[in-house]
Amino acid sequence: MSEVGILGQALAEHADRLMPCVHCGFCLPACPTYVRLGDEADSPRGRLHLMGAVVEGRLDPASDAFRVHIDRCLGCRACEPVCPSGVEYGALLEVARDVAARARPPALPTRLLLRIFGSRPGRALFLGVGAFLRNTGLASLGARALPGWGPFRSARFGLAMLASTERWEGLRWIRATEGQEAPEDPAPPTTGPRVALLTGCVQEGLYDRVNQATARVLEANGCQVVAMPGGGCCGALHAHGGDLETARRLARTEVRRFLDADVDHVVVNAAGCGATMKEYDELLGGDPAESDAGALARRVRDVNELLAELGPRTGAPVPCRVAVDHPCHLLHAQGIRQAPLAVLKAVPGAEVRLVEDADECCGGAGIYGITHPELGGRIGADKVRSVRATECEVVATANPGCMMQIGAGLRLQGAPEGVMHPVELLDVSYRRAGFYDEERDG
Amino acid sequence: MGPDHVVADPARLLVYESDGLTQYRQAPLAVVLPGTTDELVEVVRAVHGEGIPVVPRGAGTGLSGGALPVEGSVVVGTARLNRILALDPENRLARVQPGVVNSRLGVEARRHGLHYAPDPSSQSACTLGGNVAENSGGPHCLKYGVTSRYISGLTVVLGGGAVVELGGAARDPATGLDLVGLFVGSEGCFGIATEIEVRLLPLPGGVRTLLGIFASVEDAARAVTGIVAQGLLPAALEIMDGASIRAVEASVYAAGYPTDAGAALVVEFDGTDAGLDEDVARAVACCREAGATDVQHTDDEGQRTRLWQGRKKAFGAMGRIAPDLLVQDATVPRTRLPEVLEEIMAIGARYDLHVANVFHAGDGNLHPKILFDRSDADELARVERASREMMQVCVDAGGTITGEHGVGVDKQKYMRLVHGEEELAAMSAVGGAFDPRGLFNPGKVLPEPEPA
Repeated sequence: MSEVGILGQALAEHADRLMPCVHCGFCLPACPTYVRLGDEADSPRGRLHLMGAVVEGRLDPASDAFRVHIDRCLGCRACEPVCPSGVEYGALLEVARDVAARARPPALPTRLLLRIFGSRPGRALFLGVGAFLRNTGLASLGARALPGWGPFRSARFGLAMLASTERWEGLRWIRATEGQEAPEDPAPPTTGPRVALLTGCVQEGLYDRVNQATARVLEANGCQVVAMPGGGCCGALHAHGGDLETARRLARTEVRRFLDADVDHVVVNAAGCGATMKEYDELLGGDPAESDAGALARRVRDVNELLAELGPRTGAPVPCRVAVDHPCHLLHAQGIRQAPLAVLKAVPGAEVRLVEDADECCGGAGIYGITHPELGGRIGADKVRSVRATECEVVATANPGCMMQIGAGLRLQGAPEGVMHPVELLDVSYRRAGFYDEERDG
Repeated sequence: MGPDHVVADPARLLVYESDGLTQYRQAPLAVVLPGTTDELVEVVRAVHGEGIPVVPRGAGTGLSGGALPVEGSVVVGTARLNRILALDPENRLARVQPGVVNSRLGVEARRHGLHYAPDPSSQSACTLGGNVAENSGGPHCLKYGVTSRYISGLTVVLGGGAVVELGGAARDPATGLDLVGLFVGSEGCFGIATEIEVRLLPLPGGVRTLLGIFASVEDAARAVTGIVAQGLLPAALEIMDGASIRAVEASVYAAGYPTDAGAALVVEFDGTDAGLDEDVARAVACCREAGATDVQHTDDEGQRTRLWQGRKKAFGAMGRIAPDLLVQDATVPRTRLPEVLEEIMAIGARYDLHVANVFHAGDGNLHPKILFDRSDADELARVERASREMMQVCVDAGGTITGEHGVGVDKQKYMRLVHGEEELAAMSAVGGAFDPRGLFNPGKVLPEPEPA
């Protein structure tokens, strides 16, 4: 069989998933790339049609058409909840990306990043350098100094993303006023579930404070948080980026690690990782680890989801206006809409305002802003405009990619708004309520 | 226009080879996606200048192949022409570009207490330009009428690239011949509307939605006859059969229709709040009389929305059952619905085809959905034969071959079932007045001339 035939075969194994698409077109207006470009090749229906053409042997997976349009998809999966036929677009996209990447190597930044994140030393070095650039202020300086055109555009955006991962100090100056005391707190719950936290790669390297806040908030709600040494990468980046082999390798490690921990739930505070881990049995379909993967997948909870299930304790007032934006991998991939709002509801004084078009992708999508500076920039600019229109001090979103994308957009505009994970805000509220021991007050 | 908006790579063109009707595939020579009216006019002039046909395309959701490319044509897509140019609440008018999605205009109008009445089931995706071309209907056209009633003016580019303004609310009633009326429903064969002026209506003061569950489609159809005989004027009267209900209930649009039902009847009343409850009570009585196993009604917005989502997404939900789907479209006099349905199901059984039904029962508009697999040539042939027989049955009952989806390529072959040669010649002559060289969407709607 020719190379093309073999790759077509890889997609053909999923032909029964392509079949339900009846070409009705109801997905078109939900797709951020179609809405902006107007080309059906950049719509979910069009991309599915291209996948179908590869299966039928009418299209070479190494062709420009296949590579460009499959690559240009954000992977936001906003098409899934509007599809009457229930086409599993996300799963098909991962296979299509893998097929496209094997037919023809993807662009250099994607290749490099997947390579780096595929190994532990690679991740440590990359994120270490990133944290250094951020902590020394070099990232911020670079983002300000570099011009926003041509070859500099991507580098400038990347540095702005890095700089935006700094802790936002804005809440420090917002204090509760008279009459806004913390409510009487009933005895803290003690019999919560036993949970392990995925500390992750980007999250651990650049957003350790979010991991810390997650652990504190869970403990304050009665969870027994089991320490998990040696945080690994869950493989989401690779699964979304067209390297299923590495994704599977990483997933197998995580499945073993977390099953050995023998916990009720694996808690994830990065929506992209949670979405992938909840679909580990899909990723490892046909693998000896498949049933273990399924067992683990069923235990995975997004931190917002678990807190909402537990009914989070109410903390002390933090009077502020919070804009909420839904991460695609939380809303569309995991179907979680209300949970982050429930988390923020436990913060008295926080006035929540939903961002207009909060259901639409921010353009983060991994490193889309770097690989697709023009289109990613447009999508990001629209999101930043909607965020700013809420006139809030802070925007809360539960995924590191979205935090960086929105954060970078705000930073490049010189906008004062801060970006936080919802649990960070709850953490501030809890600290003010005195829920934490002093020595743990980190 | 940049390379992103002019597509000539044969691989990229594959995605344009079908619209919502997938039995036909034909890739165009090129696709052009103009971003301004001026660009659109330039493109038509240039392409027609070379004697090359133009096929207009909105969102490609049509079910009769209206946007199917013809061989050697250039597709002009309107997706980027998606601006609402003006919304004038005082005069209840809006002026839009052709690529504006139907439901987006609805959302904008709602901010002013208004709505745009035609609501095709694809309204979340289909464009107003496409609605004008197909003279689209929808569940609520029972009371409100179809698209033509709401188009007050058009700016159109005609064959060769001439731009003319037709109608306009300020000139209403039209002086001279009603060219707007001619253009609406011309299925892309006369030209492309570059600007569309639509009439908006005030939102009704109250809405009540009733759901009747029946053991059979025949019982539901009897209830419809009863409701109309009572002199009631519902905004919508819709029936879904058991197969359609089960497909919808398995989808993300599950609305709580009971999956063991033979048929569901949705009746909606709207208007001044006073009197609506009385209408509902009378309709409930009709349902019970016709043997309804359960009747419920609601004025809750959320529940209503769910019921309607379920009904409107029934077509797409069929993808769960079979890889391909032909949504047929025909009308019959309302009173003959039960017998025609029975015959349609018998035709399906005779050709060993799976047929599901949803229909706008109030205006006798049937949508039998034939499920098939395009890779099975024999089955494809049976679909073709069964479709023809279904059309014949509807015509024999005093109906016609399309209620709202248009003729396109799918119904051309049935045109002679309802139109004589003189009538067809008149249609052709009218088309020639707008597009003398026949370069807009050629080979659609009108059948090939009879061999002498």
